[in-house]
Amino acid sequence: MRNLSYFRAVPYHRILDLIWFVLMAMTLLSALIAESAEPSLLVTAIVALTIGIKGRLVVDRFMELRNANPRIRFAMNLYFYLLPLAILIVWLFPEFLADMTRLKK
Amino acid sequence: MSTSLSPSLAPTLDNQTAERLPRDNRIPGNGAVWVGIFAELSEFALMFLVYFIAKVHYLELFREGPVALNTTAGVLNTLALLTSSYFVAKAMSCVRMGRIKTAINWLWGTIGAAIFYLLVKGWEYFWNNAQGIEVDTNVFFTLYYYMTFNHFLHVAWGGGAILWAIFRLKTGGYTAEDHEGMEAIACYWHMIDLVWIIIFPLLYVLR
Repeated sequence: MRNLSYFRAVPYHRILDLIWFVLMAMTLLSALIAESAEPSLLVTAIVALTIGIKGRLVVDRFMELRNANPRIRFAMNLYFYLLPLAILIVWLFPEFLADMTRLKK
Repeated sequence: MSTSLSPSLAPTLDNQTAERLPRDNRIPGNGAVWVGIFAELSEFALMFLVYFIAKVHYLELFREGPVALNTTAGVLNTLALLTSSYFVAKAMSCVRMGRIKTAINWLWGTIGAAIFYLLVKGWEYFWNNAQGIEVDTNVFFTLYYYMTFNHFLHVAWGGGAILWAIFRLKTGGYTAEDHEGMEAIACYWHMIDLVWIIIFPLLYVLR
């Protein structure tokens, strides 16, 4: 119980420090991928996941939508579900999407 | 209009380090800023859609494009914007605690990060030019310039809004009890950061 009380008492501004540190680390991970990894489904999935997590952290913590109006929070978070999903779909089905979006002569 | 605080979320207001968090179910800032934020996000969503469509039609160009760009500049831009967002969040936290001078200092940090971003992006455009990368080099770089320059402008005028928040804080316009305008500016700034969180991997990382 004492430990739980401790975590509840962690000041909000200290949580912000931790979030900033995580965001920095994830950015550097992306940079490492950009410089070294060959394109693959795994790399694409990691990058898509990174976008989703970073977006959610900024929306919930920096933008303080965590306990805000649920519709605004939902719309903002939806952006960071759909974009990573779009990245994965583009990787998986490029020819199909190209056919779907080709202008017919 | 004052921004009320949640007593349930502020159980330990017994010293200067105690914090107040915003009340549940509120609309941060005001309704108008959210119309603006969702309009801006829709605009960028259209750009991302164009990016995805162009990518499936020119897979090779979109595989080679990120390799030709300056990854270091992209990473520095990302670190600067995330840090600027962090500074804004810290400033909001300080305003709620009534620590106005500290909040102003955090916002000056945001301005510094924004200027750093603009300088790095400007240098990156010159670097691109020296490598022979221009707007009409191919469709990948056309999209790169369209997205990044559009975002560049958002950082510039968003910086103007942060300067306005600093002015309002200095002149007593925002207090621990009444800071709706600053919250609106903070949300707008975070939106600019969020857009870059997407642009960076699309242009510099994914191949």
